[in-house]
Amino acid sequence: MANRLWPEHLDPIIEEFQDCFDSMERYELLFEYSAKHPSPLPPEEWSDTNQIHGCQSRAHVECSRDDNGKFLMRAGADAQIVQGLMSVTAMAVNGMAPEEVSSMSPDYADAMGIRNSLTPSRANGFLNMFERVRSEAERMV
Amino acid sequence: MALDVNAIREDFPILSRVLPNGHPLVYFDNAATSQKPKCVINAMTKYYEQYNSNAHRANHTLADEATQALESARHKISTYFGTSSENMIYTSGATEAINLVSYGWARYNLKKGDVVVITEMEHHADIVPWQELSKEKGVEVRYVPINTESFTLDMEAFDVALEGAKLVCVVHTSNVLGIRNPVEEIIRKSHAVGSRVLLDCAQGAPHERISFDEMGADFVAISAHKMAGPTGIGCLLVKSDAMEKMGPFMTGGSMIRKVTIDGSTFQEGHAMFETGTPRIAEAIGWGAAVDWLSNFDMNDVHSHVHNLAYIASEEMSKIEGIRIFGDPSRSDSSGAVSFLHDSIQSQDLAILLDEGGFAVRTGHHCAQPLMDALGVPSTNRASFWIYNTEDEVKSFVKHLRYVCDRFS
Repeated sequence: MANRLWPEHLDPIIEEFQDCFDSMERYELLFEYSAKHPSPLPPEEWSDTNQIHGCQSRAHVECSRDDNGKFLMRAGADAQIVQGLMSVTAMAVNGMAPEEVSSMSPDYADAMGIRNSLTPSRANGFLNMFERVRSEAERMV
Repeated sequence: MALDVNAIREDFPILSRVLPNGHPLVYFDNAATSQKPKCVINAMTKYYEQYNSNAHRANHTLADEATQALESARHKISTYFGTSSENMIYTSGATEAINLVSYGWARYNLKKGDVVVITEMEHHADIVPWQELSKEKGVEVRYVPINTESFTLDMEAFDVALEGAKLVCVVHTSNVLGIRNPVEEIIRKSHAVGSRVLLDCAQGAPHERISFDEMGADFVAISAHKMAGPTGIGCLLVKSDAMEKMGPFMTGGSMIRKVTIDGSTFQEGHAMFETGTPRIAEAIGWGAAVDWLSNFDMNDVHSHVHNLAYIASEEMSKIEGIRIFGDPSRSDSSGAVSFLHDSIQSQDLAILLDEGGFAVRTGHHCAQPLMDALGVPSTNRASFWIYNTEDEVKSFVKHLRYVCDRFS
């Protein structure tokens, strides 16, 4: 991942979003991705400790190492746009070395064309979620 | 008389704005803050360009002009609210005004066991100050519930809660439900048991002419920015006999009469509560907003805004999955229409509406106890005001229907 802002295996997903006709189609695709989360965190496991604060929606993230010592992010949100971004994030970071996750940038959301998803004032929780994932990875290193 | 909405819109440069996604702005977040007419913007700019100076502090020309403008604004605003300058304390907004009652009146006049009555419908700004007072002084806080069918206050429960009350704090018009509470009845009944009354008129003032002396409440909290004025300023209107029993809330600056190393003395009346350098530009801007609003009959403004809310809620109700919280069929309801879709989460819905250029609010609206009573974590809210049009409402409903069809 040297000199890359996100892992190579995200490129086809980003291209899929870039190929969308308009923003509504992109959000529709994000809604589809929200149902494809590779490692969801079901609502019964949502707690105060894994809650991402500063989101208008409820969002929860648990980070750990998998059986191979690689990074595993489990996440859940009640808003599908946040959940969709969590799905894409999990697809990016699951299986990576924690060191690689800790140096990742959230710019892939912008590249996907999810407008303003990186703006903190939007308070949609993506940045807070990403920062939780990145800092948990840093803690594991 | 019907409002000339097209002419009114000419006064608001921001309403011509095109958003980055190419859609023209349709601003339906007026219960959060209203837009500002050119005359308000110009009045504030003129102050900064031509006579910016500190008020009440010097004898030079600019200071005289700034002081005169600050006090002239107070006169205009207090007159607009049907009272005199002596009864008006500038604050940063309704939140600070309510805190001023809590710190400047309640802490000097209430003791352990005294009762403060509030409602489930209150904004956090009219809940937390009383919870904090309760922790500090042992005051009992009683909550009047709402009827979740009619979305109105349970007035039978109010009558029960009122027994022994020393202070009743009620929102004039709910920021979530648009429901206007029966404030006249509340004031009458509260006074009958010897209780003071505080009305949170942050949402009421943009929708009807608040006439303080005639209404008879002891305290009224108002924010300028929801009624065409700038952010950062509001006021507490206080009856003279209540102000006489108030003590300092914050200290320093304008409220000082004399300070020695042995102690300090304070100004009297409203000056005791206005600390630091006044919000001069904001006061001037609010004065200009009041002048602008005075061009209209507030009954006409209310009719126009209520009509938009009624049309919107009727049409939105026809969309499968949409549920309305509040009752815009009530003729005294405001322009706030809260709603939820049964499968599209409120934040998702707000973002998808924004994609069409429609600015609506989402969240708990700083009224979490009300959300708990309604059994929901949040709502979406479209709130209309003087410059919104039926065409905007129609295009909003059309886009909402499109989003619901495509994403549910």
